[in-house]
Amino acid sequence: MEKEYYVCTGCGLLCEDIETELEKRAISKVYTACRVGVAHMKENPGTAKFWVEGKNTDEATAIGKAAALLKAAKNPLIFGLDNSTNEAQKKAIELAKKLNATLDDSSSFSFGPLMAALLQKKFKTCSLDEVRDKADVSVFWGADPSDSHPRQLSKFAYFPRGKEKQRGWEEERTAIAIDIRKTHTAKICGNEFYQVPLGGDAEFMEALIAGLSGKLPKTSYKYPPKKLLELANLLKAAKFGVIFIGQDLLYSLETLAPLFRLMDTLNEKAKGDFFLIPLLEAYNMRGFNENLFEETGFVNRVKFEAGSVKHGPEYSVVESLKAKAVDAALIIGSDPLANLPYSIIKELLEIPLITIDPCETLTSKKAQVSIRSGVSGVEAGGSALRIDGVRVAFKPVFESKCPSDEEILFKIMEAF
Amino acid sequence: MDFGSFLSAPELKLKIVTYRDIFQNKALIEDRFGEEYIAKSALIKLDSVDLKNLSLKKGETVILKNSFGKVVVKAEASDSETPHRGIAYMPNSPWSNRLVSTETGGTGVPRFKEIEATVVSAKGEKITELEF
Repeated sequence: MEKEYYVCTGCGLLCEDIETELEKRAISKVYTACRVGVAHMKENPGTAKFWVEGKNTDEATAIGKAAALLKAAKNPLIFGLDNSTNEAQKKAIELAKKLNATLDDSSSFSFGPLMAALLQKKFKTCSLDEVRDKADVSVFWGADPSDSHPRQLSKFAYFPRGKEKQRGWEEERTAIAIDIRKTHTAKICGNEFYQVPLGGDAEFMEALIAGLSGKLPKTSYKYPPKKLLELANLLKAAKFGVIFIGQDLLYSLETLAPLFRLMDTLNEKAKGDFFLIPLLEAYNMRGFNENLFEETGFVNRVKFEAGSVKHGPEYSVVESLKAKAVDAALIIGSDPLANLPYSIIKELLEIPLITIDPCETLTSKKAQVSIRSGVSGVEAGGSALRIDGVRVAFKPVFESKCPSDEEILFKIMEAF
Repeated sequence: MDFGSFLSAPELKLKIVTYRDIFQNKALIEDRFGEEYIAKSALIKLDSVDLKNLSLKKGETVILKNSFGKVVVKAEASDSETPHRGIAYMPNSPWSNRLVSTETGGTGVPRFKEIEATVVSAKGEKITELEF
């Protein structure tokens, strides 16, 4: 019998080689996935649930109430969607247009500027398959895939025997970690771990650029120039280099300019090409950024208004809540009550909330309307964009009574 | 009488660096309201000398406080080989987010990663429950 493989939507790697065993309409065993993936694939209560004001209700009542709250709002916010399919994201953009809503996702306070630069082609990027087949130098900067993307090193960046890297990590690949602490990934990198002081990344980049340009690399925190020059020479010798950027680096940099200068210098001085891949965490943040970019030219923080679109920090989830500019919120696949600072949460609790999520969350517990949706790749099919932009389509492991995010959004729009 | 209770507990200023943890993430997915997630999230890892200076033993609770909020979490020594006095590590969680500044300068990006706070023994106080 031919084996069936499924896609794990536990992180942005979208691993496509997952095998499962079913028992009584629930996944009992998961093979191939990582620790997070196994937990994620088993996260399948399988029953549809609808709450209005904390009480169980039926689908029509919940959808009707959600539509009424959104319709009554003058300036609703739609937030989340990084854990939704492309199809649901496109539907949410359509809904935002119809409602003249503000639309934003978590890239607003993480990868947004880097994703905008990527889609505007401000640096070279490549696919994870190319990394697996060709990369001889992988740099993890403020990134710890061993914790955030557990199979990244074994499937792509370091351990596999790629088409042009048959001798693998023992002879043909170098992994480098640059971080403020010795992460699990840094431990794998062994001697190629470069510890930077808190907030010292931009200076480290400038020093590295100096080292690559044949100058003495200096930092105010007196990082040993010899070690910096060794790193510069290692990067210079790369035939196919890739830098994986994690969220920790983005929080350390005031602007991305030093990073872009470093990428330009590497591509000028190194033997081969250097590429950059953001290590996006949610499974379809890339999809949200690309789908919205295609539609509006912006990756996040937009406000639709009578056929036009506005963009700027004032339309970010944080600033629009701080300014009390939004008067209702539809939260899809996100838990802002867990992820945002407390004073922002207080503003969110002042307005009507609607949540669509496979899990019960701190936010869904406080919502006027809460709808349980099917887990993507387990109970609901669709497609998503992997962190490198490769489109991955997936089917559900089993038929579920839980509607998908897309179906729920469609029904809310029908109820207007 | 326990005269020790009248003495002010030592207090330290900290820079808290948040991080991701795969075991915490797994616990979140399995049950975000469960004991395992709380144990792996409401936690701060201090330099062992800082822990000693605060007269703390592993697993005792501490109060973390700044102008944005206050939380009680468990403290333990970090496993870092290099000393990091004055810097502490905390898994990214609703507990660390209670201390995050909302001063964004209009950028829309709160400072999630480098949080300044004071730490003091909580003298047996329980971990902060997440209620809104």
